[in-house]
Amino acid sequence: MNFIKELSKGLIKENPIFVLVLGMCPTLAVTTSVVNALGMGFAATFVLLCSNIIISMIKNVTPSKIRIPVYIVVIASFVSIVDMVMAAYLPALHKNLGLFIPLIVVNCIILGRAEAFASKNNVIMSIADALGMGLGFTLSLSLVGSVREIIGAGTWLGFKVTPLTYDPMLVAILAPGAFISLGFLMALMNMLKEKK
Amino acid sequence: MKYYFKLGFILLIFCVVASGILAYVNSLTSPVIAQRKAAEEIQAREALIPNAEFEERQSDQGMIYYVAKAPETGEILGYTFIAADLGYSSTVQTMVGVDSEFKVLGVQIIDQGETPGLGANCTQPIFTNQFSGMTLEDIYVDKDGGVVVSLSGATITSRCIANSLREGIIDVKDEPGLGGDQ
Repeated sequence: MNFIKELSKGLIKENPIFVLVLGMCPTLAVTTSVVNALGMGFAATFVLLCSNIIISMIKNVTPSKIRIPVYIVVIASFVSIVDMVMAAYLPALHKNLGLFIPLIVVNCIILGRAEAFASKNNVIMSIADALGMGLGFTLSLSLVGSVREIIGAGTWLGFKVTPLTYDPMLVAILAPGAFISLGFLMALMNMLKEKK
Repeated sequence: MKYYFKLGFILLIFCVVASGILAYVNSLTSPVIAQRKAAEEIQAREALIPNAEFEERQSDQGMIYYVAKAPETGEILGYTFIAADLGYSSTVQTMVGVDSEFKVLGVQIIDQGETPGLGANCTQPIFTNQFSGMTLEDIYVDKDGGVVVSLSGATITSRCIANSLREGIIDVKDEPGLGGDQ
Protein backbone atom coordinates (compact mmCIF):
# COMPACT_ATOMS: atom_id res chain seq x y z
CA MET A 1 0.00 0.00 0.00
CA ASN A 2 2.87 2.30 0.91
CA PHE A 3 4.44 1.69 -2.48
CA ILE A 4 1.37 3.11 -4.21
CA LYS A 5 1.32 6.07 -1.86
CA GLU A 6 4.95 6.98 -2.58
CA LEU A 7 4.34 6.48 -6.28
CA SER A 8 1.30 8.72 -6.53
CA LYS A 9 2.44 11.63 -4.35
CA GLY A 10 4.68 12.98 -7.12
CA LEU A 11 1.72 13.48 -9.45
CA ILE A 12 -0.36 16.02 -7.54
CA LYS A 13 0.28 16.27 -3.81
CA GLU A 14 4.04 16.79 -4.03
CA ASN A 15 4.29 17.61 -7.72
CA PRO A 16 7.96 18.59 -8.24
CA ILE A 17 7.22 21.57 -10.49
CA PHE A 18 3.94 23.06 -9.33
CA VAL A 19 4.15 22.28 -5.61
CA LEU A 20 7.80 21.74 -4.65
CA VAL A 21 8.93 24.22 -7.35
CA LEU A 22 12.17 22.32 -7.95
CA GLY A 23 14.14 22.01 -11.18
CA MET A 24 12.99 25.33 -12.62
CA CYS A 25 16.02 25.69 -14.89
CA PRO A 26 15.20 22.74 -17.20
CA THR A 27 11.48 23.47 -16.85
CA LEU A 28 11.83 26.95 -18.27
CA ALA A 29 14.49 26.09 -20.82
CA VAL A 30 13.27 22.93 -22.58
CA THR A 31 9.50 23.38 -22.68
CA THR A 32 9.51 25.07 -26.10
CA SER A 33 7.87 21.96 -27.55
CA VAL A 34 6.16 18.85 -26.24
CA VAL A 35 8.79 16.56 -27.77
CA ASN A 36 11.60 18.35 -25.95
CA ALA A 37 9.63 18.30 -22.71
CA LEU A 38 8.99 14.56 -22.97
CA GLY A 39 12.63 13.84 -23.81
CA MET A 40 13.90 15.90 -20.91
CA GLY A 41 11.31 14.34 -18.59
CA PHE A 42 12.26 10.78 -19.47
CA ALA A 43 16.00 11.47 -19.30
CA ALA A 44 15.62 13.07 -15.87
CA THR A 45 13.36 10.23 -14.70
CA PHE A 46 15.94 7.67 -15.75
CA VAL A 47 18.73 9.50 -13.91
CA LEU A 48 16.49 9.96 -10.87
CA LEU A 49 15.59 6.28 -10.81
CA CYS A 50 19.21 5.11 -11.11
CA SER A 51 20.56 7.59 -8.57
CA ASN A 52 17.77 6.84 -6.07
CA ILE A 53 18.49 3.11 -6.30
CA ILE A 54 22.25 3.50 -5.86
CA ILE A 55 21.98 6.11 -3.12
CA SER A 56 19.53 4.07 -1.06
CA MET A 57 21.87 1.09 -1.49
CA ILE A 58 24.97 2.92 -0.31
CA LYS A 59 23.30 4.97 2.42
CA ASN A 60 24.82 2.83 5.18
CA VAL A 61 28.41 3.11 3.93
CA THR A 62 28.31 6.84 3.17
CA PRO A 63 29.51 8.99 6.08
CA SER A 64 27.02 11.81 6.50
CA LYS A 65 29.77 14.46 6.30
CA ILE A 66 30.60 13.64 2.67
CA ARG A 67 27.16 12.51 1.50
CA ILE A 68 26.55 15.49 -0.80
CA PRO A 69 29.77 15.04 -2.87
CA VAL A 70 29.06 11.32 -3.08
CA TYR A 71 25.51 12.00 -4.34
CA ILE A 72 26.85 14.42 -6.91
CA VAL A 73 29.37 11.85 -8.16
CA VAL A 74 26.62 9.23 -8.51
CA ILE A 75 24.24 11.64 -10.27
CA ALA A 76 26.92 13.08 -12.56
CA SER A 77 28.00 9.59 -13.60
CA PHE A 78 24.48 8.62 -14.61
CA VAL A 79 24.02 11.89 -16.48
CA SER A 80 27.20 11.23 -18.45
CA ILE A 81 26.02 7.72 -19.24
CA VAL A 82 22.66 9.04 -20.48
CA ASP A 83 24.47 11.67 -22.55
CA MET A 84 26.78 9.15 -24.23
CA VAL A 85 24.12 6.50 -24.83
CA MET A 86 21.70 9.08 -26.24
CA ALA A 87 24.35 10.53 -28.57
CA ALA A 88 25.10 7.05 -29.86
CA TYR A 89 21.62 5.59 -30.25
CA LEU A 90 19.08 8.48 -30.23
CA PRO A 91 20.94 11.16 -32.21
CA ALA A 92 17.88 13.21 -33.18
CA LEU A 93 16.73 13.63 -29.59
CA HIS A 94 20.29 14.28 -28.50
CA LYS A 95 20.58 17.13 -30.96
CA ASN A 96 17.56 18.86 -29.40
CA LEU A 97 18.41 18.16 -25.78
CA GLY A 98 22.19 18.07 -26.00
CA LEU A 99 22.59 21.36 -24.20
CA PHE A 100 20.27 20.44 -21.35
CA ILE A 101 21.45 16.95 -20.48
CA PRO A 102 24.52 18.15 -18.54
CA LEU A 103 22.11 20.40 -16.66
CA ILE A 104 20.38 17.35 -15.16
CA VAL A 105 23.37 17.18 -12.80
CA VAL A 106 22.26 20.37 -11.11
CA ASN A 107 18.55 19.58 -11.37
CA CYS A 108 17.54 20.02 -7.74
CA ILE A 109 14.79 17.41 -8.02
CA ILE A 110 17.38 14.67 -8.27
CA LEU A 111 19.63 15.89 -5.50
CA GLY A 112 16.55 16.83 -3.48
CA ARG A 113 15.06 13.34 -3.70
CA ALA A 114 18.44 11.77 -2.92
CA GLU A 115 18.78 13.88 0.21
CA ALA A 116 15.15 13.92 1.34
CA PHE A 117 14.08 10.41 0.42
CA ALA A 118 16.56 7.87 -0.92
CA SER A 119 19.10 8.39 1.85
CA LYS A 120 16.47 7.50 4.45
CA ASN A 121 14.43 4.76 2.79
CA ASN A 122 15.00 1.32 1.32
CA VAL A 123 15.49 0.49 -2.35
CA ILE A 124 11.87 -0.47 -3.13
CA MET A 125 10.44 2.73 -1.65
CA SER A 126 13.12 4.79 -3.41
CA ILE A 127 12.12 3.26 -6.74
CA ALA A 128 8.49 4.21 -6.09
CA ASP A 129 9.53 7.73 -5.12
CA ALA A 130 11.74 8.12 -8.21
CA LEU A 131 9.05 6.83 -10.59
CA GLY A 132 6.36 9.01 -9.04
CA MET A 133 8.48 12.14 -9.01
CA GLY A 134 9.84 11.44 -12.49
CA LEU A 135 6.36 10.90 -13.89
CA GLY A 136 5.09 14.04 -12.17
CA PHE A 137 8.02 15.99 -13.59
CA THR A 138 7.49 14.59 -17.11
CA LEU A 139 3.73 15.27 -17.09
CA SER A 140 4.16 18.80 -15.76
CA LEU A 141 6.86 19.53 -18.33
CA SER A 142 4.61 18.29 -21.13
CA LEU A 143 1.76 20.41 -19.81
CA VAL A 144 3.89 23.57 -19.91
CA GLY A 145 5.31 22.42 -23.26
CA SER A 146 1.82 21.88 -24.71
CA VAL A 147 0.62 25.33 -23.71
CA ARG A 148 3.71 26.98 -25.16
CA GLU A 149 3.80 24.94 -28.37
CA ILE A 150 0.09 25.42 -29.13
CA ILE A 151 0.13 29.16 -28.47
CA GLY A 152 3.59 29.84 -29.82
CA ALA A 153 3.78 27.60 -32.87
CA GLY A 154 0.20 26.44 -33.43
CA THR A 155 1.27 22.79 -33.31
CA TRP A 156 1.13 19.94 -30.82
CA LEU A 157 3.77 17.20 -31.05
CA GLY A 158 4.58 18.74 -34.44
CA PHE A 159 1.02 18.48 -35.83
CA LYS A 160 -0.95 21.58 -36.75
CA VAL A 161 -3.83 21.93 -34.28
CA THR A 162 -4.94 25.53 -34.64
CA PRO A 163 -7.10 26.95 -37.46
CA LEU A 164 -5.15 28.17 -40.48
CA THR A 165 -6.04 31.76 -39.71
CA TYR A 166 -4.29 31.58 -36.32
CA ASP A 167 -1.03 33.50 -36.34
CA PRO A 168 1.24 31.93 -33.69
CA MET A 169 2.37 34.22 -30.88
CA LEU A 170 6.10 33.68 -30.99
CA VAL A 171 6.59 35.11 -27.51
CA ALA A 172 5.18 31.91 -26.01
CA ILE A 173 8.15 29.82 -27.15
CA LEU A 174 10.69 32.47 -26.24
CA ALA A 175 12.00 32.91 -22.70
CA PRO A 176 9.26 35.27 -21.42
CA GLY A 177 6.60 32.80 -22.54
CA ALA A 178 8.13 30.18 -20.27
CA PHE A 179 7.69 32.34 -17.19
CA ILE A 180 4.19 33.49 -18.16
CA SER A 181 2.90 29.97 -18.96
CA LEU A 182 4.43 28.52 -15.80
CA GLY A 183 2.93 31.29 -13.68
CA PHE A 184 -0.55 30.81 -15.07
CA LEU A 185 -0.41 27.02 -14.75
CA MET A 186 0.82 27.28 -11.18
CA ALA A 187 -2.01 29.68 -10.33
CA LEU A 188 -4.49 27.30 -11.94
CA MET A 189 -3.13 24.38 -9.88
CA ASN A 190 -3.45 26.39 -6.67
CA MET A 191 -6.98 27.46 -7.58
CA LEU A 192 -8.03 23.85 -8.15
CA LYS A 193 -6.43 22.81 -4.88
CA GLU A 194 -8.21 25.47 -2.85
CA LYS A 195 -11.58 24.49 -4.26
CA LYS A 196 -11.23 20.97 -2.87
CA MET B 1 42.99 14.02 11.62
CA LYS B 2 42.79 10.32 10.85
CA TYR B 3 39.02 10.66 10.49
CA TYR B 4 39.36 13.20 7.69
CA PHE B 5 41.79 10.98 5.78
CA LYS B 6 39.23 8.22 6.06
CA LEU B 7 36.53 10.49 4.63
CA GLY B 8 38.79 11.48 1.74
CA PHE B 9 39.61 7.86 1.09
CA ILE B 10 35.95 6.84 0.95
CA LEU B 11 35.24 9.66 -1.48
CA LEU B 12 38.22 8.54 -3.56
CA ILE B 13 36.81 5.01 -3.79
CA PHE B 14 33.46 6.33 -5.00
CA CYS B 15 35.17 8.46 -7.64
CA VAL B 16 37.41 5.62 -8.85
CA VAL B 17 34.45 3.27 -9.27
CA ALA B 18 32.45 5.97 -11.07
CA SER B 19 35.29 6.83 -13.47
CA GLY B 20 35.82 3.15 -14.20
CA ILE B 21 32.18 2.74 -15.20
CA LEU B 22 32.24 5.92 -17.28
CA ALA B 23 35.41 4.86 -19.09
CA TYR B 24 33.78 1.56 -19.96
CA VAL B 25 30.57 3.18 -21.29
CA ASN B 26 32.63 5.70 -23.25
CA SER B 27 34.67 2.93 -24.88
CA LEU B 28 31.39 1.31 -25.98
CA THR B 29 29.64 4.41 -27.30
CA SER B 30 32.40 6.60 -28.77
CA PRO B 31 32.99 4.42 -31.87
CA VAL B 32 29.22 4.35 -32.50
CA ILE B 33 29.02 8.15 -32.21
CA ALA B 34 32.00 8.70 -34.52
CA GLN B 35 30.60 6.23 -37.04
CA ARG B 36 27.18 7.85 -37.01
CA LYS B 37 28.65 11.33 -37.53
CA ALA B 38 30.75 10.13 -40.45
CA ALA B 39 27.76 8.35 -42.00
CA GLU B 40 25.65 11.48 -41.64
CA GLU B 41 28.27 13.57 -43.42
CA ILE B 42 28.65 11.09 -46.25
CA GLN B 43 24.89 11.02 -46.68
CA ALA B 44 24.67 14.82 -46.76
CA ARG B 45 27.50 14.98 -49.32
CA GLU B 46 25.90 12.41 -51.58
CA ALA B 47 22.58 14.22 -51.46
CA LEU B 48 24.29 17.38 -52.72
CA ILE B 49 26.38 15.81 -55.49
CA PRO B 50 25.00 12.39 -56.41
CA ASN B 51 26.96 9.68 -58.21
CA ALA B 52 30.40 11.05 -57.47
CA GLU B 53 33.59 9.87 -55.86
CA PHE B 54 34.82 12.09 -53.07
CA GLU B 55 38.42 12.89 -52.35
CA GLU B 56 39.35 14.55 -49.09
CA ARG B 57 41.69 17.55 -49.18
CA GLN B 58 42.72 20.33 -46.87
CA SER B 59 42.88 23.98 -47.88
CA ASP B 60 45.68 26.40 -46.95
CA GLN B 61 43.37 27.84 -44.30
CA GLY B 62 43.07 24.39 -42.76
CA MET B 63 39.53 23.72 -43.92
CA ILE B 64 38.70 20.16 -44.95
CA TYR B 65 36.90 19.99 -48.26
CA TYR B 66 35.99 17.25 -50.67
CA VAL B 67 36.48 17.16 -54.41
CA ALA B 68 33.70 15.33 -56.20
CA LYS B 69 34.79 13.51 -59.34
CA ALA B 70 32.84 11.52 -61.87
CA PRO B 71 33.73 7.86 -61.23
CA GLU B 72 34.68 6.96 -64.82
CA THR B 73 36.12 10.07 -66.40
CA GLY B 74 37.66 11.68 -63.32
CA GLU B 75 36.11 14.97 -64.36
CA ILE B 76 35.60 17.39 -61.46
CA LEU B 77 31.88 17.73 -60.73
CA GLY B 78 32.16 20.05 -57.77
CA TYR B 79 33.26 20.50 -54.21
CA THR B 80 31.63 20.06 -50.82
CA PHE B 81 32.68 21.46 -47.47
CA ILE B 82 31.25 22.35 -44.08
CA ALA B 83 30.92 26.08 -43.54
CA ALA B 84 30.75 27.13 -39.90
CA ASP B 85 30.27 30.51 -38.26
CA LEU B 86 28.96 31.89 -35.02
CA GLY B 87 25.28 32.76 -35.33
CA TYR B 88 23.08 34.35 -32.69
CA SER B 89 23.49 31.77 -29.94
CA SER B 90 25.45 28.89 -31.44
CA THR B 91 27.84 27.83 -34.14
CA VAL B 92 25.84 27.10 -37.27
CA GLN B 93 27.34 24.37 -39.44
CA THR B 94 26.25 24.14 -43.02
CA MET B 95 27.12 21.42 -45.50
CA VAL B 96 27.63 23.13 -48.84
CA GLY B 97 27.93 21.70 -52.35
CA VAL B 98 29.20 23.81 -55.26
CA ASP B 99 29.75 22.82 -58.86
CA SER B 100 33.06 23.17 -60.72
CA GLU B 101 32.18 26.80 -61.53
CA PHE B 102 31.63 27.47 -57.82
CA LYS B 103 27.91 27.92 -58.27
CA VAL B 104 25.96 26.63 -55.25
CA LEU B 105 24.28 23.26 -55.84
CA GLY B 106 22.64 23.06 -52.46
CA VAL B 107 23.10 23.60 -48.76
CA GLN B 108 22.00 21.71 -45.69
CA ILE B 109 22.20 22.92 -42.10
CA ILE B 110 23.75 20.05 -40.19
CA ASP B 111 24.15 21.56 -36.73
CA GLN B 112 22.70 24.63 -35.03
CA GLY B 113 21.33 25.75 -31.68
CA GLU B 114 19.58 28.97 -32.64
CA THR B 115 16.41 30.36 -31.07
CA PRO B 116 13.45 28.02 -31.66
CA GLY B 117 10.82 29.71 -33.81
CA LEU B 118 13.25 32.27 -35.19
CA GLY B 119 16.83 31.33 -36.09
CA ALA B 120 16.14 27.61 -35.82
CA ASN B 121 13.90 27.93 -38.89
CA CYS B 122 17.13 28.06 -40.92
CA THR B 123 16.99 24.26 -41.23
CA GLN B 124 13.74 24.46 -43.19
CA PRO B 125 13.83 23.91 -46.96
CA ILE B 126 12.10 27.24 -47.61
CA PHE B 127 15.28 28.93 -46.43
CA THR B 128 17.97 26.50 -47.58
CA ASN B 129 16.55 25.86 -51.08
CA GLN B 130 16.98 29.49 -52.10
CA PHE B 131 20.78 29.10 -52.16
CA SER B 132 20.75 26.69 -55.10
CA GLY B 133 22.15 28.33 -58.19
CA MET B 134 23.63 31.32 -56.41
CA THR B 135 27.11 32.55 -57.25
CA LEU B 136 29.64 34.16 -54.95
CA GLU B 137 28.34 37.69 -55.64
CA ASP B 138 24.73 36.74 -54.79
CA ILE B 139 25.40 35.30 -51.36
CA TYR B 140 24.71 38.34 -49.22
CA VAL B 141 21.54 38.74 -47.15
CA ASP B 142 19.05 41.23 -48.56
CA LYS B 143 19.98 43.84 -45.95
CA ASP B 144 23.59 43.71 -47.17
CA GLY B 145 22.56 44.13 -50.79
CA GLY B 146 22.47 40.47 -51.79
CA VAL B 147 19.69 38.15 -52.88
CA VAL B 148 19.49 35.88 -49.83
CA VAL B 149 16.05 36.40 -48.27
CA SER B 150 16.70 36.43 -44.53
CA LEU B 151 14.48 34.69 -42.02
CA SER B 152 12.11 37.13 -40.39
CA GLY B 153 13.42 38.07 -36.98
CA ALA B 154 16.68 36.22 -37.52
CA THR B 155 18.91 38.39 -39.65
CA ILE B 156 21.96 37.48 -37.57
CA THR B 157 21.48 33.77 -38.24
CA SER B 158 20.82 34.35 -41.94
CA ARG B 159 23.84 36.62 -42.27
CA CYS B 160 26.10 34.16 -40.48
CA ILE B 161 25.09 31.37 -42.86
CA ALA B 162 25.57 33.58 -45.93
CA ASN B 163 28.95 34.83 -44.71
CA SER B 164 30.26 31.38 -43.80
CA LEU B 165 29.19 30.10 -47.21
CA ARG B 166 30.99 32.90 -49.00
CA GLU B 167 34.17 32.49 -46.97
CA GLY B 168 34.18 28.75 -47.59
CA ILE B 169 33.71 29.16 -51.33
CA ILE B 170 36.51 31.74 -51.52
CA ASP B 171 38.71 29.43 -49.51
CA VAL B 172 38.22 26.53 -51.94
CA LYS B 173 38.46 28.80 -54.97
CA ASP B 174 41.83 30.10 -53.83
CA GLU B 175 43.28 26.62 -53.73
CA PRO B 176 46.16 26.14 -56.18
CA GLY B 177 45.00 24.23 -59.21
CA LEU B 178 41.31 24.89 -58.62
CA GLY B 179 41.25 28.67 -58.87
CA GLY B 180 38.58 30.45 -60.79
CA ASP B 181 41.16 32.77 -62.40
CA GLN B 182 42.87 30.08 -64.45
